[in-house]
Amino acid sequence: MMNRSILKGICFCLLLVSVTALANVVYVKWFYYDDVVEADATMLFRLDSLEDVADIIYIGESSNATYAKTDTCALRISELIQRQVPGAVVATLDHGAYHARGYLELIKNITPGSRVNTLIITMNLRSFGALWINSTLETPLMKANVMYQRYPPIIKRMMLALGEYDQKTWEERAPIIRDHWKNDKLNVPPDFPHKTTSEWDGWRCMAGIDTLPDGTWDHARINFACNFIKILGFSIDTLSNPRIKDFDEIVEVAKEKNLHLVFNLLPENVQYADSIAGPQLAQLIRQNRDLLVKRYNKNGVIVVDNIEKVPGKNFIEQDQVTEHYDQLGRWIIATNVVMTAGKYLTKRGS
Amino acid sequence: MLFNSVQFLFFLPIVVALYYLLAPRLRWILLFAASCYFYMVFYPPYILILFAIVLIDYFSGLLIEKSKGARRKFFLLISIIGNIGLLSYFKYFNFFLTSWNDIAGTDIGMTFEIEFILLPIGLSFHTFQSLSYTIEVYRGNQKAERHIGYFANYVLFFPQMVAGPIERYERLGNQLRETHPYRYENISTGFKLVLYGLFVKMCVADNLAPIVTQVYEHPENFSPLSIFLALVAFSLQIYADFYGYSTIAIGAAKMMGINLMDNFRQPYFAVNIRDFWQRWHISLSTWFRDYVFIPMGGSRVNTFRFMFNILVLFTISGFWHGAQYTFLIWGALHGILYLMEYFINKIPGVNALTKLPVAKIFLGLKTFLLVTFIWIFFRAENMDNAKGIIHGLFQSAQPKDVPLDFRIWILIPVFLFFILEISIVKSRFDAWLQNRVVFTRWFSYAVLIFCILLFSGIKSYEFIYFKF
Repeated sequence: MMNRSILKGICFCLLLVSVTALANVVYVKWFYYDDVVEADATMLFRLDSLEDVADIIYIGESSNATYAKTDTCALRISELIQRQVPGAVVATLDHGAYHARGYLELIKNITPGSRVNTLIITMNLRSFGALWINSTLETPLMKANVMYQRYPPIIKRMMLALGEYDQKTWEERAPIIRDHWKNDKLNVPPDFPHKTTSEWDGWRCMAGIDTLPDGTWDHARINFACNFIKILGFSIDTLSNPRIKDFDEIVEVAKEKNLHLVFNLLPENVQYADSIAGPQLAQLIRQNRDLLVKRYNKNGVIVVDNIEKVPGKNFIEQDQVTEHYDQLGRWIIATNVVMTAGKYLTKRGS
Repeated sequence: MLFNSVQFLFFLPIVVALYYLLAPRLRWILLFAASCYFYMVFYPPYILILFAIVLIDYFSGLLIEKSKGARRKFFLLISIIGNIGLLSYFKYFNFFLTSWNDIAGTDIGMTFEIEFILLPIGLSFHTFQSLSYTIEVYRGNQKAERHIGYFANYVLFFPQMVAGPIERYERLGNQLRETHPYRYENISTGFKLVLYGLFVKMCVADNLAPIVTQVYEHPENFSPLSIFLALVAFSLQIYADFYGYSTIAIGAAKMMGINLMDNFRQPYFAVNIRDFWQRWHISLSTWFRDYVFIPMGGSRVNTFRFMFNILVLFTISGFWHGAQYTFLIWGALHGILYLMEYFINKIPGVNALTKLPVAKIFLGLKTFLLVTFIWIFFRAENMDNAKGIIHGLFQSAQPKDVPLDFRIWILIPVFLFFILEISIVKSRFDAWLQNRVVFTRWFSYAVLIFCILLFSGIKSYEFIYFKF
């Protein structure tokens, strides 16, 4: 009885492998492209087409390609870098809301020995916060990430079909965010009364310290301040923050592939954060900036510190926290990247 | 844990292997631990609700058996209040508060704040299953279980704990006590059912889901024909979803030598509403028949009382599915149609006419269309959504006509499912396959695996009935 079971088990395994191989061939030929498009993972194909023509790949999120209505120059940050390094080809891979987890999977797909010499990767401070880490945008992004993984395409398809990615609903994500805000301690001076994001935000929302000339609460300004506190009011814990883990892995992968790495630490509106939410928030932003610069410079990465380079008025959104810059803002960032990381912005071997 | 997850694909073989490796007297511990783990993957704290149900009904059962007269009724009441109380709090509390606020609260200035309550998965299933045990003990048809471990496994048994079939203790509880020696046939049969269930769920239900969703989210964008197609798609989706789940559940249990009842018998081949309910979610229909309809007098009462009983039965059944007016209407409409058909059949000659083969095709189509139409209230998010769908279905002018967005190849597994369902009519997939030659059997495995790999929906959807 047992022998019969084992024999049939072996036959079944052979059948499974054969059918999977056949399905993979059929899938790649007729269905894979459509699924990659549906999963919004077309950067995979763009990377394939770029790696033999580009010396530098700029990988980023919406900060790279968001324009103000008043802009007369609709060039991406990466295109502005290209203008300043004519000797090398700078290619772009960008996608709204993307972050290090996605960059990592994408970078793993770069073929060793390809023309690519340097990667410029945006480092968005906001992406280290609980709100972004647990955003509902994670669901489609992680779905796309499955397609970036280096398994046979049919396996990736099965992973999607079996929901093998972070697809938590907002109802599941909201309590996680609240827990972080409530429990993660802020690295603030001892005399500052609010030790967590939750306490700080609650006080700021309820105190109504911003008033209009008629004495009523300035709700717009209060909302903006609370927005700042929720989004940038955190202290990075290098032991538990998933984004740190992702950037650490990016460093390892780049070393394996012999690629130069530049982290483009994007500007935050520190000027407004200071004046609207308070100097403690600006201080937290600077602390986090210092931590990231120090950590990754030590690992041989050039971290371009743009955190305070762009003045408040050059941020496109003037009533909420984003990393979208007008043409001058984008030009400042591009120039700073070229000035700081110039030695890496060359062809391979030059 | 979802059946259509990578976790389950590892979990099931491991549990089955350990099950046969362990001595039979220790298997209840494995099943208990596995079931707790299975449930806790969803939301760990809610396992306490299941423990509460187990404790209430375990002790109620013992006390009912020991007691006599009014005390028996008292302990049965404790069990009913315990189970229905938990169900009411988690599932219906907010519905009643919202209804109160909408209807009376605002007028008399007494409204309640609604707090979000996360509904425990499958609560309606395990409360009903557990309740059937205490009722049977009370009726004297079932001896109370002394071993709390076996009783806990009856309530928690992982293949059917979150979406049925709703089993009776007489059937499942006693099987859990039996020694099941390893038999290749059990593994083979179970495997066939799990494979077929996964095919039905992943290749049919999950591919139809996006078609349905796009129409229900924006009915105003679609033409009557597109809406009609989406309604048909939902009929197939919900059947494939629940039938797929039940088939996997039956298969997973079978691998351990345990037989669960069949929950479906080709319901869309039904010729009338009564027939439909004898084929759809059979374990729930029989539960309501035995514990609601018959105690109310069943059909052995005068006509008005019978009509009342039927309407109450179907309305409660609708409410069991969800705490929304849409479900109440869904249930009530089934009741009304049931009665209409009942009285039409009373007209002299009609009954004989319905027995003609041609009439059966016509009646089958009629029943399918009626059930498909009534599903609107089941699928709609709320009454406005249901109205939007009905309005869109019967509108003459078409302000917009957005084409349905779907890939044509999804029709391949749907068509294959249809062919298989016609082939296995009056049987079950495993039995149908068992009678084929070796080549056909293995070719069928290959085709099903190929379809699952290639044609499963690119997005995984939770089983619809999990939320009940």
